[in-house]
Amino acid sequence: MNYGVTQELIDTYGEVIFKLSLNKQTRYGDPVRELDFDAIQEQRAGTGLTDEEIAKKIGLLPEQVSIVRVFVERKYHRIDLHRRLFHLGGGKRWKAAEYQHPEERLSIREDGMKLRESIRFDPDRASYYLENNYWTNETMIGWLNTHASDRPNSLSIISTDFTLTWLELKEEVDKLTNGLLGLGLKKGDVVALQLPNIKEFIVSYIAISAIGGVMQTIYMSHGEKDIEYFLNHSKARATISPDHIKNFFVAEKLCNLRSSSDTLDQVIVVGDDIPDGAINYNDLLVEGVPDVGNPPVGSDPFLLLYTSGTTSNPKGVPLTYHNMLGHARLCAPEFGMTENDKILSVAPFCHLFGLYNYHCTFYAGAATVLLPTFSPPEFAKLVQKVSPTALFMGPAHAAAFREKDLLDSHDFSSVNYSVFSGAACPPDLLKWWKSQTGSLVCQLWGMTELAAGTFSRPDMDENIGFNSAGPVSPGNEIRVVSSESGEELSVGLEGELQIRGSSVFPGYFNNDGANKSAFTKDGWFKTGDLAKINEARCLEITGRTKDIINRGGVKYNPSDVEELIFSHPSVDMVAIVPMPDDVLGEKACCFVKLCEGKKLTLEALIQYLETKKMSKAKWPERLEIIDEMPLTPTRKIIKGRLLELLD
Amino acid sequence: MDQVNSDSAKEAMRTYVKKKGALAFGVADVEVLEKIAPDGYGPKALMPRVKSVISLGVGGGTKGSWAANAKTLAYIGDTETMAYRIAYGLAFMIEKKFGARSIFCPPDMDPEKGARTPLQSLKLHAEVAGIGARSMAGDILLHPEFGMMYYASVFTELEVPPDSPMEENPCPHPSCVKLHAQTGQTPCMKFCPVDCLSGSVDEEGKLKEMHYDAHACAAMSQQYEAIPNILLDMMDAKDPIERGMAVHSPENQMIWYKLSIGAGELLSLCYECMRVCPITQSSLPIKTESRKGGMREKIAEAEAQATMEKEIESGSAS
Repeated sequence: MNYGVTQELIDTYGEVIFKLSLNKQTRYGDPVRELDFDAIQEQRAGTGLTDEEIAKKIGLLPEQVSIVRVFVERKYHRIDLHRRLFHLGGGKRWKAAEYQHPEERLSIREDGMKLRESIRFDPDRASYYLENNYWTNETMIGWLNTHASDRPNSLSIISTDFTLTWLELKEEVDKLTNGLLGLGLKKGDVVALQLPNIKEFIVSYIAISAIGGVMQTIYMSHGEKDIEYFLNHSKARATISPDHIKNFFVAEKLCNLRSSSDTLDQVIVVGDDIPDGAINYNDLLVEGVPDVGNPPVGSDPFLLLYTSGTTSNPKGVPLTYHNMLGHARLCAPEFGMTENDKILSVAPFCHLFGLYNYHCTFYAGAATVLLPTFSPPEFAKLVQKVSPTALFMGPAHAAAFREKDLLDSHDFSSVNYSVFSGAACPPDLLKWWKSQTGSLVCQLWGMTELAAGTFSRPDMDENIGFNSAGPVSPGNEIRVVSSESGEELSVGLEGELQIRGSSVFPGYFNNDGANKSAFTKDGWFKTGDLAKINEARCLEITGRTKDIINRGGVKYNPSDVEELIFSHPSVDMVAIVPMPDDVLGEKACCFVKLCEGKKLTLEALIQYLETKKMSKAKWPERLEIIDEMPLTPTRKIIKGRLLELLD
Repeated sequence: MDQVNSDSAKEAMRTYVKKKGALAFGVADVEVLEKIAPDGYGPKALMPRVKSVISLGVGGGTKGSWAANAKTLAYIGDTETMAYRIAYGLAFMIEKKFGARSIFCPPDMDPEKGARTPLQSLKLHAEVAGIGARSMAGDILLHPEFGMMYYASVFTELEVPPDSPMEENPCPHPSCVKLHAQTGQTPCMKFCPVDCLSGSVDEEGKLKEMHYDAHACAAMSQQYEAIPNILLDMMDAKDPIERGMAVHSPENQMIWYKLSIGAGELLSLCYECMRVCPITQSSLPIKTESRKGGMREKIAEAEAQATMEKEIESGSAS
């Protein structure tokens, strides 16, 4: 039923038919009321013709005119105009400049949508978390607004040379939010931060989240190649970084990367040396109340972090407010954190341990003590000056004090507890720290994919903190399963550690391969760690599943051997990896970085192990002395790189 | 019926509609309407023997509804059903009281022409009847005393004296003339959410020129226009989310809702069965003369035949 109408006919006559029809009306004067029949007749085409009249005028059939007309009406029709009504009346009048269609206001770029597509939780688990208030509608800016209102003059940030109240922090965040909006950044956009633990990190972090953005962190130690990989993978649209990190002119490199990136648009620089084409962070501090059309909500992703990559290329870990802020809300009371606390994170905020610490501190309304760069003297000086009530740090930070007398010469008495995480924590080191500082010691096991999985609480028996990573964190559950059968193992047996819960990430970003092997069918995340759960339901990490050595069918975890070798006075760092063997399948190769001026042979090492009564089956059969141990930015040994050195 | 009776009939109609709640009443000259309306859209196209077109107007929403937000007003601002009800009653009243055939003029679209072409222009009836004048706001009729009204019409074969159009147009109001002089816009132009109005005022403060983008106005305010486009959007959708949004976005859901609850008075039957139903036809309040060979005569003959056969069967025929 086309009545002879073709697309060509529509194209040719459509516009004039539309114009002549009732769709467009023009009237001069008031001819009908005045019964001026001549004028009425003259104006007929202007006031709108019927289809018959149009057909007669231009030489089409009336039926053809009807069809052509509706096609053109369709072309100009907008379904969504009706919604403009929703913003009018009750004292409100139409102001075109103030109206933004939801499609525009709530739009998220394609890259942002791809990231959101990676946010997929099991619906039953999500319901459980929501029904039990593990997940609520919390956001960073929501927390900041609450603190700025409830405790405006309390300190939110303490540095060696300045402090910032909650109200002042909000004012700074609002200013930067205006600046970021002014750059055209919007919800779903990834902004990469490569900053130390400075005020600008915190302000940027909250401002990015205030516009609905997603913060990606890049470790301070990462160089150009790493940065390029991360920015390309995340599709970041902006970066915030220092002008330089030591002698690496990072801002300039980022400007260069922008030309080869499809997405990177803005390079924001904290510092004085602003390269051409970059934006001075300070220029983005714009006064005014931010008008965020698409504000963040609890289910939004707001973090895109990358695993440290001990086994492969770093993987992108998207995390939602539900995941992280709910987690912090549940964890902060477990540490007894209150708004009166002053919390110092030695761990960098670029790392999830640092962020986790900040989230807990933020939730509690406590003050964050800033330590931009770790060195034992700076750290000790800051503790003495600011008197923090808690420390979040890695064992390496404590170990760095061992051969110095800084703890004796500085007052650490304000520190109620110290939380250690990030690598294996030798009990002796933790005991030593307690004896030197007087602070309670907690141990925390966590991953980028889930923040704190388990941790010992400050009020628990001290031996729990020395010897284990404590019980599971609130909102989560852990189990240890057999690597072979997948069945859950009894108390005290070593197996693969799995975790499920409200803080566990939804899956890796843009990495189907990793996602397939990361979760069990019933939704447990396979951590890749070897562990035991002891009688007290506390976690003892014993190694990594991929570190297991299969020597002629006898499988063993080399971590206890590594621990023993580490106690050798000549050894600075040690790692044991499996090396292929034609007869036994695998044998153990020991990589050692020696202390300065020390020597070690395989024979001497074996003799040492023998005297320490280490089982002969676990003795390494090859020793490689290396000058530098390959480390992640969080100072974990990259065993994958050591395997490459075997050839 | 003589002139005196026509005048009194007109007054009786005026009294009736006012008593029922109409604010304004007038009679449009059929011949004037025939002259102005496009071919095929004069009153005689609907009712060939129409002698008079009665137009009545009822007020818009309550004062409160004008103070409510726009989406509330969208629901409660229109009172056309009240106007229709009065006109419907008036048609019966004329037939009952004066024995002249009358119809409630359908305020609907011409089913042959689609959604943009009404069977009759109720506005034209009201304007010629002198109870409204075209405004700068897209030709919405305004009355100096009652402002915007909803109109309904009754066509009758009773001849009553027609009224004349208003002598003065209340639009543009002097304050609007002043604003137009200052800003180039009247308030209705300025606050139109889809910029569908523009125009100018002459030196005497009268409307000189008015442009009305009826298409944009309809897209904004008449959701039925959207339905075919929603269906086409669904078919053109590039992914399931977009397709789902076309069906389930809140505003589109409202269209399905309105359709499903019958808002918009969906056509439910064609009335042909009732046209030939003797019970329905015999229950009509007035009896008109059957046209020779017409449907009523056939029905009467069939009724008489059936009655006779029934009597024969029962043996009661004499």
